[in-house]
Amino acid sequence: MTGRLRAASPGLLVILALVSCVVTLIIVGTRGRTAPVGEAERVQQIAAGLHCPVCKDLSVADSPAPLAQQMRQEIAEKVHAGESADQIRAGFVAAYGESVLMTPPKHGLAGAAYHLPLIVMVLGLLVSFLLLRRWLHKPQSEPLAGDSVSLSASQRRAVDVAIARLREEEPG
Amino acid sequence: MGQLGTYALLFGLVLSGYGMVAAAVGAKTDRPALVESARRAAFGLVVVMVVVSGTMLVALLSNDFALRYVADNSSRSTPTFFKALSLWAADDGSLLLWNLILAGYLAAVALRFRRERPPTFPYALSVLFAVQVFYLILVNGPAKPFASLANPPADGRGPAPLLQNHPLMAVHPPFLYLGFIGFAVPFAFGIASLLAGPGSDQWVSLIRRWTLVVWCFLTVGLLLGALWSYSVLGWGGYWAWDPVENVALLPWLLSTAFLHSVMLQERRGMARLWNIALVIGAFSLMTFGTFLTRGNVLSSVHAFAQTSVGPVYLTFLALVLLGGFGLLVWRLPTLRTPSHLDSAVSREAAFVGNNMLLLAATAIILLGTAFPLVVEAVSGQQVTVGGPYFRSAITPVFLLLLLLAGTAPLLPWRSTNRSRALRRLRWPASAAALVMIATAFAGVHQATAVAAFGLATLVFVANGQEIVKGFTIGRRALRKGRRRYAGLVVHVGLALVAAGVTASSNLAQQTEVTLKTGQSTVFAGQVLRYEGLQTEQQPQRIVLTAPVSVTNAHGGAAGTLDPRMSLYPAASEPIGSPSIHRGIVTDLYASVIALQDNGGSATFRFYRNPGVNWLWLGGLVMALGGVAAAWPVRRRADDDTAAGAVRKRAVVEVGAG
Amino acid sequence: MRRIGLRRIVLLATVVAAVLAVVILLATGLGRDPSAPASPLVGRAAPGFTLAQLDGPQFTLSTLRGQVVVINFWASWCAECHTEQSALNGTWQQFRDSGVVVVGVNFQDTSTDARDYVRTAGVSYPVVEDSDSRAALAYGVRGIPETFIVDRSGRIVDRVIGPVDAAKLAGQINSLLSAGSR
Repeated sequence: MTGRLRAASPGLLVILALVSCVVTLIIVGTRGRTAPVGEAERVQQIAAGLHCPVCKDLSVADSPAPLAQQMRQEIAEKVHAGESADQIRAGFVAAYGESVLMTPPKHGLAGAAYHLPLIVMVLGLLVSFLLLRRWLHKPQSEPLAGDSVSLSASQRRAVDVAIARLREEEPG
Repeated sequence: MGQLGTYALLFGLVLSGYGMVAAAVGAKTDRPALVESARRAAFGLVVVMVVVSGTMLVALLSNDFALRYVADNSSRSTPTFFKALSLWAADDGSLLLWNLILAGYLAAVALRFRRERPPTFPYALSVLFAVQVFYLILVNGPAKPFASLANPPADGRGPAPLLQNHPLMAVHPPFLYLGFIGFAVPFAFGIASLLAGPGSDQWVSLIRRWTLVVWCFLTVGLLLGALWSYSVLGWGGYWAWDPVENVALLPWLLSTAFLHSVMLQERRGMARLWNIALVIGAFSLMTFGTFLTRGNVLSSVHAFAQTSVGPVYLTFLALVLLGGFGLLVWRLPTLRTPSHLDSAVSREAAFVGNNMLLLAATAIILLGTAFPLVVEAVSGQQVTVGGPYFRSAITPVFLLLLLLAGTAPLLPWRSTNRSRALRRLRWPASAAALVMIATAFAGVHQATAVAAFGLATLVFVANGQEIVKGFTIGRRALRKGRRRYAGLVVHVGLALVAAGVTASSNLAQQTEVTLKTGQSTVFAGQVLRYEGLQTEQQPQRIVLTAPVSVTNAHGGAAGTLDPRMSLYPAASEPIGSPSIHRGIVTDLYASVIALQDNGGSATFRFYRNPGVNWLWLGGLVMALGGVAAAWPVRRRADDDTAAGAVRKRAVVEVGAG
Repeated sequence: MRRIGLRRIVLLATVVAAVLAVVILLATGLGRDPSAPASPLVGRAAPGFTLAQLDGPQFTLSTLRGQVVVINFWASWCAECHTEQSALNGTWQQFRDSGVVVVGVNFQDTSTDARDYVRTAGVSYPVVEDSDSRAALAYGVRGIPETFIVDRSGRIVDRVIGPVDAAKLAGQINSLLSAGSR
């Protein structure tokens, strides 16, 4: 009885761990933020979505450049005045063009960027699935890894002994 | 000086051309003497390249402003150390370093195969010479580093301020170049195996160790780049998803995939076509990377911007792609192998998953980086694809890879006994669950961060427990299974990197505040006080330091942060240098971004960055694991006998885990 | 055997086609300068601003409606702004009595440095200080010098990055003046 329990327990433990992981993630995912988002953080979020016009790759939130500092000030004033994030972004796009957004706009040809990762993943999953299925259904009888070697009985014994000795050193 | 350099470069080009032709002809017509002469030419070439680089170094150190490169990138007041570094500061000069490293690899290949002559060797030598020919054409043609000025100025312009601010500039490019250029070697042998015809399968075992060494260099190069970005550039981060950074990551991802799928070929004879495609792909991406970096196509912090070289790089890229993949398609019938899997829950299947995920990550990053180019070509619209896009696109792939790294090492080859696998998994899975619950309780609200912490724990414990098991069995097992244990160490490093990246991306705090002298602010539980501006005049710049004293919550002094702004005569804006208090769990990071009233008040940005040091540590562990895996095996006395062959074969069977 | 041969040729043709497509796409990127994106403001109404002059009262852009306006963003520390100063001065002298106003907007600079520059460079057209860069941000300024040419109805007709060319500027102003008078 205890023997069977002990044999059953690793599987049980793993399943328990898996379930608690999933549950935790669901709780965290649905709980969202526990503290309300302050004005400073909203400025930070909007600034993080804008590309600093005088830098090469930094967002307005990250950039130390003077123009970025002044952009952050302007965003702060607009947030304080009650403008929405979309309105603020639209204001900068009107002056600088769509390239001032850190990510492409969601509409039109540029919006295709958002579909690309999903397409790549789906294709990848499909290909691996098909490949694995093909490899799993092939017949069993083909020679080992390219080397077509014919061994005598004593040679086979030598191989078996050598492999056995090495396998006993493999953990688990 | 300039004359010597120019003639030496020309001679190098001629020598490489000879090597390329001699090796190819010698291989095709079976004339070993020709191949041997090409091999010797490789040694001659590396000597020539050393002379060339030495010439430029001497010119820099002796202030030879008659050379345009020296006038543009050095000055009398530049410290000697940075004068030497100017060797690779700008496009033309860095191409000299590039050529030197490539010649070094050529010579190393020539040396390695001084006795053994696999059928792929002469073809590989020819391909390597061909690559060298291309890069020498660049320095002899559009990108002449030894171009001279008709009227040499009295003093040079000096290096770009950003490049003389920090000694990390010394090591980041060389390691990166060693990593990039090294991919030419597996590429050359892959092409050679296609040219030499069927039966030349040993290229994979020849090349595995080379690729591992190159992988180590690239890992360190990328790590140093991130370290430089964090410690020097002052924006508080280490990876900006800059196009040049992205293309540097792509060969790393593909070579990681190769290092895994190579085990499929060694042990099961599978994936031959795939492995050749991977090495061609890695080299093509590296070539694409040089095109993007130096061809002035995308805006980047790394852009060297020389418009005349763009078409040359593009031509080379076209040749590499056509030659590589064309040859692959041509030899397709000879590459198909019958492959069979015993079970879907096996290490082979996990490797398929690993390769698929790494390839997906490569595709996503490549497409995202090239996207602005494509959109502008098609519709004229200008868009930016920046950090937020890549972060959200890559996170699911990254998490799945962590899952594999934590479970696949516990899976045996061929098939598994379910209860055995579950038994190996119980501690890792439990630890992962506990960490997830703990982080959720601690208030982390991003689900992906909680998942990432849990998966990093899974990887850490799963690989760690296998390493510990190895130690309990004994030193002999560790030595015999060195490849496997080194791989486990790399995964442990990966777990640290994952934890560090997750913590710093999700849990960082920052604030921007203007303080008058003597004024203080509270940030992250500490009191930070601006102590007043200090000015220091140095020969090549003026350094303004804005010291900030740190006092912790209990009132104890916790040191001073010294963020600086350096004013260089050549730059219109000052270059900021951050000051960092590094801790085991978190960094306190300060940078000064503006000064008012002659330093009477200063605008600071303070950051609290958790986990960044786990990132550096993890990266180091990964590189060390790679070194351990690549460490040469001592040749044993019976290596060339039948018994030795059995022993080596068994080591492959068992040692790869 | 022939079927295999055909398959290989088809695959090879696909590879060649794909590589050519990639190369052509990348080649289009070679011709463009990546650091100078197009301005979306050309063809739209010039954003208004009210800023303090260097030595004088507040200055509001909308009061210039009905005249051609040349708005030049500059700073005393900008080397290229020095090179275009004579072109701007010349344009001002040539057109100030024809209903054209040149306005200098000082960008990320100090009043002292700006005044010194104005004095030594002989700038006589109105100069305003954009101390918090609100005007620069509204005009999508990425660097200096940048110059905007505004027609009589307040619409931006062109944006010049880098130093202006006097002859080209004069030509543009002339065509705007003659268009308006019809």
